[in-house]
Amino acid sequence: MGSAVTHAPAREGLPRDSEPRHGPVKSPRPADLKRRGRRENLAGYLFMSPWIAGFLLLTAGPMVASLYFAFTDYNLFDAPKWIGLDNFSEMFGDPRWRHSVRVTLWYVVVGTPIKLLAALGVALLLAQKRRGQAFYRAAFYAPSLIGASVSIAIVWKAIFSDDAVVDRTQQLFGIHAGGWTGDPDLIIYSLVALTVWQFGAPMVIFLAGLKQVPRELYEAANVDGAGKLRQFWNITLPMISPVLFFNVLLETIHSFQIFSSAYIVGGGAGGNACGPADGSMVYTCYLYVQGFENSRMGLASAMAWMLLVAVALVTAVLFWSQKRWVHYEEDGR
Amino acid sequence: MQQNGHVDRRTVLKAAGASLAVAGLGATATACGGGTGSGDGTVTIRYSWWGADDRAQRINKTIALFEKKYPKIKVKTDFQPYTDFWKKFNTQASGGNPPDVFQNAIGFLRKYDAKNVLLDLSEQVEAGNLSMDGFRAGLDKFGEIDGKLLGVPVGSNSMALVIDKHVYTRAGISPEQGWTWDDFYAAMERIRDKTGRAGDSGMYGVMYLYDLYLRQNGKAFFTEDGLGFTEADLTEWWTKAEKGVRSGIFADPKKVAQIKPKSAVSAELAGSEFTWDNFTVRYTSEGKSEYGLAPIPTTDGKKTGQYLGSLMLSASKRTQHPKEVAQFIDFMVHDPEVAKIMGYDRGVPATQAQYDAFTPTDEVNKAIAAYEESLVKAGVLETITPHPNGADICEAAFLRIGEELGLGKRSVSDAVKQFFTESKTALSS
Repeated sequence: MGSAVTHAPAREGLPRDSEPRHGPVKSPRPADLKRRGRRENLAGYLFMSPWIAGFLLLTAGPMVASLYFAFTDYNLFDAPKWIGLDNFSEMFGDPRWRHSVRVTLWYVVVGTPIKLLAALGVALLLAQKRRGQAFYRAAFYAPSLIGASVSIAIVWKAIFSDDAVVDRTQQLFGIHAGGWTGDPDLIIYSLVALTVWQFGAPMVIFLAGLKQVPRELYEAANVDGAGKLRQFWNITLPMISPVLFFNVLLETIHSFQIFSSAYIVGGGAGGNACGPADGSMVYTCYLYVQGFENSRMGLASAMAWMLLVAVALVTAVLFWSQKRWVHYEEDGR
Repeated sequence: MQQNGHVDRRTVLKAAGASLAVAGLGATATACGGGTGSGDGTVTIRYSWWGADDRAQRINKTIALFEKKYPKIKVKTDFQPYTDFWKKFNTQASGGNPPDVFQNAIGFLRKYDAKNVLLDLSEQVEAGNLSMDGFRAGLDKFGEIDGKLLGVPVGSNSMALVIDKHVYTRAGISPEQGWTWDDFYAAMERIRDKTGRAGDSGMYGVMYLYDLYLRQNGKAFFTEDGLGFTEADLTEWWTKAEKGVRSGIFADPKKVAQIKPKSAVSAELAGSEFTWDNFTVRYTSEGKSEYGLAPIPTTDGKKTGQYLGSLMLSASKRTQHPKEVAQFIDFMVHDPEVAKIMGYDRGVPATQAQYDAFTPTDEVNKAIAAYEESLVKAGVLETITPHPNGADICEAAFLRIGEELGLGKRSVSDAVKQFFTESKTALSS
């Protein structure tokens, strides 16, 4: 994008870490510089230490442990028993696991594009100069602040139940499908609707991207007689393609990790953890069921690592594909 | 853009790290919360149970009585709904920090005994801190597994057909002890035709009812170490279920799924439901109608296959105060005042002294007492089906797969196969 390009040379000119930032005017001896640098590094690490300790103890440590558990039979009570790849072969042979993979893929493939389209559409509207634009931006962003909360999931469940708002509205149009949350085929769409409604974060990023597109390009296109659609297709989209790529990447990874909304809309404490007939049984829901309801932590760890590998693969494919459609201007890339 | 992505990822990581750190602090705080002793000999024991607010209020009153009698023992309480309770308990127990004393049920005794979580209370009985005398109907043996006393019953209950009385009156049906399954299905159709409501809420996924049906036919849901029925048995049961859902004598599973955790009977989706007899207390507070109890249908006109079930109090093996815990359980099962406060909330009191102390005055509790007495009189009560390690997971799978069948997401043969696969895994681990 334009700004990244203009700034790039300036960034190169910034002092490196090894160079003194507020160094004395006299040219210092290299050894002094080195020592000072090391001291500064030490201070930096010291300031970071609470975070580093937290990361090692609460993220890295458990992750390494779960990698080990993935190859064991572990029920939390007895010592883990090494069983090699048995967890993985059981996983692939389990129809309920395959079902959860299907539900998750469906959610990602349907939900993510709709959400991004909504975000882009609203961003295009909000990018125009209008009175009260700041208010609208805040208003459209608001759902993203609360969307992930438990209370919204509960409200969502109520909205999509029998005889509630959605059911009555569809009845006006002669559709008598009943509430979505009780229907194993429809409940996933109420979750898609929930994630689409939270388009605020990608919208803000799109908005930033749109503002970076140089006005001259549009003016030139206007002179050449290009219509709005043409301008969008040939100017806006290529110019914001790096932002688009970033959003696709982030939202895809997010979607794979959906848990709390599926768990709560799907029933939560009502006996079934993940919707009628496992209708909202997304991957992490099944992971939770195996780990915490069936006490099979080894299997649950294996599932978690499988998810990590899958998400990594998808990310790799996205990065590979960006060469074909992401346009970094004047950058030689 | 690269720059942008970079910053964002770090921010996200930091935020994640921070929230994890906060979560970690929370965990440490709870872990330290188990402090038990203090200088003046006062000890604190932790007591947790599953239930709702009304049960909590009653229990808190009984605890106040206990603390008055034993001023040196303080009781810290904690409660959740049923499924959440077991998740939390499982996590606490695996972390070596289970509550000192907790509510328990038959399906969990072997499971947690195998995991070395439950305290054998017989030592405390010998030491005179806990009396196992004065229990009704052989209930004192109820919590004994392999010669160990792992749970002490607080009340007894049995399966019943909980009915919406108004619906049954409108349909002109009054079930009597010894009615058969044919009578039952005819009644369900009649309710559907006369009242426009499904007769039953969906009995095909209720493990405890299918157990009774099997017992009427000389089998049972579980043996000591496995399932007590064949795929052919279950195919027969679920074929009838599929028909029943289609013909509308069982409630629409889609609707039942949405009103959870409310019951289908109190939500007026069905005229009746097979469940434990003390549930009328809950339904009365949930729904608008009046609720009564009808007998379990039979195969031969006599045998219902019924037995008493029970909620129990168990102690954890890791408790540092076995004596105080035993005194607490002893007080809760024998003290007459406790019975007056608790009523039939956890079933009909297990000891004769408590049973005599509480005389129900309202219709609902009177009906429960009458129902339990009628079972004793009819002589239908037998010994309980064993619950092997993994029984709780089988019960959940039975309910879930039954629901999937009702929703039309699985064929009968597919459902049967899936249940046998899952229960095999659960019972072998």
